[in-house]
Amino acid sequence: MNASRLDVLGLFDHEYDDDGWRTCSVTGLEIHSSTENYAKLFGLTAVVALLVGGLFAITVPLTRWELVGLLEPADFYIHLSMHAWNLLIFWMVFMEISILYVGGPLVLGRKLPITTVAKAGWGTMVAGAVLVNYAIWTTTPPDQAPLLTAYAPLPSAPLFYVGAVVFLLGATIAALPFFLSMWQEKRENPGKTLPLVAFGAFVTSIIAVQAILGGLAVFTYALLWRVEIISSIDASVYRHVYWIVGHGTQQINLVAMITVWYFLTHVVGGAEVVSEKVSRTAFILYLFFINLGAAHHLLSEPVVELGWRLFNTSYAFYGAAFASMIHAFAIPAGLEAGRRKRGKGGGLFGWLTSAPWHNPVFSSVVLSVILFGFIGGITGVVMGQLQLNMTWQNTFATVGHFHGTVVLGTTFAFMGLILFLLQTSFDRKLALPRLASLWPYLFASTMGITALMMMYVGLLYGVPRRVAEVVENIPGTEFNLVAAAPLFNVFGVFAMLAVVSGALFLVIALATLLFGKRNGDGEAAERLLPDGTLKPEGGASDPVHAYEMRGTFVLTLVFMGVFVVTWALNWYLLSQLWSIGL
Amino acid sequence: MTSPIDPPEGDWWSESVNRRETIWLGIAGVWSLFLFSWMSGWVRAGDQNPTGDTYEISPEQFREKVDQYKEAAEETDGGYVPADEHVYIAGQRFQWDGLPAVLETGTQYQFHFSSYDVQHATNIRPEHNLSAQMNFDILPGYEWIVPMTFDEPGEYHVICSEFCGDGHRSMHGTFTVVDDE
Ligand code: HEM
Ligand SMILES: [Cu+2]
Ligand SMILES: [Cu+2]
Repeated sequence: MNASRLDVLGLFDHEYDDDGWRTCSVTGLEIHSSTENYAKLFGLTAVVALLVGGLFAITVPLTRWELVGLLEPADFYIHLSMHAWNLLIFWMVFMEISILYVGGPLVLGRKLPITTVAKAGWGTMVAGAVLVNYAIWTTTPPDQAPLLTAYAPLPSAPLFYVGAVVFLLGATIAALPFFLSMWQEKRENPGKTLPLVAFGAFVTSIIAVQAILGGLAVFTYALLWRVEIISSIDASVYRHVYWIVGHGTQQINLVAMITVWYFLTHVVGGAEVVSEKVSRTAFILYLFFINLGAAHHLLSEPVVELGWRLFNTSYAFYGAAFASMIHAFAIPAGLEAGRRKRGKGGGLFGWLTSAPWHNPVFSSVVLSVILFGFIGGITGVVMGQLQLNMTWQNTFATVGHFHGTVVLGTTFAFMGLILFLLQTSFDRKLALPRLASLWPYLFASTMGITALMMMYVGLLYGVPRRVAEVVENIPGTEFNLVAAAPLFNVFGVFAMLAVVSGALFLVIALATLLFGKRNGDGEAAERLLPDGTLKPEGGASDPVHAYEMRGTFVLTLVFMGVFVVTWALNWYLLSQLWSIGL
Repeated sequence: MTSPIDPPEGDWWSESVNRRETIWLGIAGVWSLFLFSWMSGWVRAGDQNPTGDTYEISPEQFREKVDQYKEAAEETDGGYVPADEHVYIAGQRFQWDGLPAVLETGTQYQFHFSSYDVQHATNIRPEHNLSAQMNFDILPGYEWIVPMTFDEPGEYHVICSEFCGDGHRSMHGTFTVVDDE
């Protein structure tokens, strides 16, 4: 296929044959240009949203750092809303559509069917995103900036609800080609098992459908109320339905991220799947239980019944937390056993020390696994315990938790995926290769400390989230939380460093697209593949589960230790409170 | 090779699972069940639970109840001294109606929470220990009655911890807990 004349940057060309196919020199996959080009289109659009939302990662922390105190409240809330919608919704969902196309038709070696529908979905999503941005930016009283949640009956601009509905419809349309190609695959190859990555993408898509239905319902409900077609809105019903999408999108982020983990640790690290049965069962547990957890956002409020809160916040007796702990073992174990099998594994941690840490795709994905687990995952389970939630709800600690999940986990993994696609699908050498090798460590350390500081100010000083001023001064009273100011200084400095690291990623990505040299023959494979080859010697006669997993076992025990200690400390803190409740 | 981008070969369901992975599954499973048991056990045996009775109520009705409460209470310099063990706190942009109040240690109070307008949240803590804090979401249309007993005297601060409009940061109230002689 010839690239379009409009494509002056050569973003969409590659060495395809006359029918539009090419063999990827890195993964060995047969890739059709239709699938690849749409995956690129959605990925590039996501990066634009990352840039827009990222700009507000400057102004929001500089306001919360009251030493600087950048913005007045009304502006602060507008900026915070722009931050949340562009990053948590637009950056992630555009990426996730791209991941569906990669995990589905691309991995399965299929053309993308009904590309006009993909195009229409893209256009609708862009229109929705533009509308939401416009509505937030032009918020005027009596409307208030929506933040992420737009909690009724606090009114947001009518166009905001319209934009949200349009965006969700667009995402549904954009997912249709994926569903169709899965269905075609199943029909043409009955009885053939999907590769694990395609299976993960499929589970993601099912969870997404549930989330989108909730989102369409809640924003339509709020819109009808806002334009006064219905006269009142029930705050509790709103919260319930809102969290189907608010929580559901986080679970899409989680499952898509784990799919990317399996994909990239394999391709660039040499990981294998140590047990198809166990990993797939974990995905199935997600399918059943993970969207349940929506009530963990409703724990410290009046309306939800106790038994339901207990059952739901625990994803049915921690069914989904159990699934996550399964992946927490399976991912590093895949790396360990896979690398041992390649003869790269001496001693307890030889498989790790010999790993390609200079390859930013590898390091960002592995750091994402570690930081998601230790910072985002543990705190998520802790704060989701019914009673502990009282000490986390609405505090800055909550913000720390989800920057541990959606930034250090998902965003980081997606950034790694983009660095991978730049070198494969976009067929370029990374510009600024030294900086690119260093970048994941900068981002991990600065953002990691930022997230920890968020949690500390939240838990140790009870600093609330979503407020422009509370530490140095609470207007109208002598009381303040100024004891938290020193930690806020650390927070402010590291948040700015994290913004700089985030910006470096964008610089590397854009410089690569604009100035990156094309890969020569076999160069991409040489640079990206562990030991220069995807498939080492040895076949079914050399099962991977028979290799040692000692190192992983030690690491997961350390993880469990940190988990237990964090959990116990939180219960200790709670038990210091006065007596509350029945 | 077992690759996540190729279909698994042969009878993958019957492949055996590494011993250490099996042990980990056991540890994770036991921990999951323990977490659940602890949480539900604390509902019965623990002292801090976000539980109480809930009633639907309109903002107007709730305002009437708060007015009656304030009338029955004794008004002192420190705030309302409730006539009985019922305490009313209503969120309203941007203040807490019913506060300030003066309470005693050791008495089990029934806190009635609701809102006159939009969603708010109570972040409650004593001045002398900033980390001893807890949060409840307060919704218009619902009255939540949560028992609370204080054992430490002091000044307690109630900060609004859910965004309720541009003046949200100034929404603050107090109550004093005094030693019961
Ligand atoms: C350098 C990177 C970042 C920094 C320094 C940063 C900082 C912050 C801060 C300080 C807040 C809390 C404000 C408050 O509650 O008062 C916040 C909120 C938030 N951030 Fe970030 N952030 C970053 C990146 C991201 C990314 C990549 C995402 C999503 C993928 C994200 C999603 C959110 C969300 C959803 C909120 C909550 C909005 C709300 O309360 O409705 N952030 N961020
Ligand atoms: Cu959730
Ligand atoms: Cu408020």
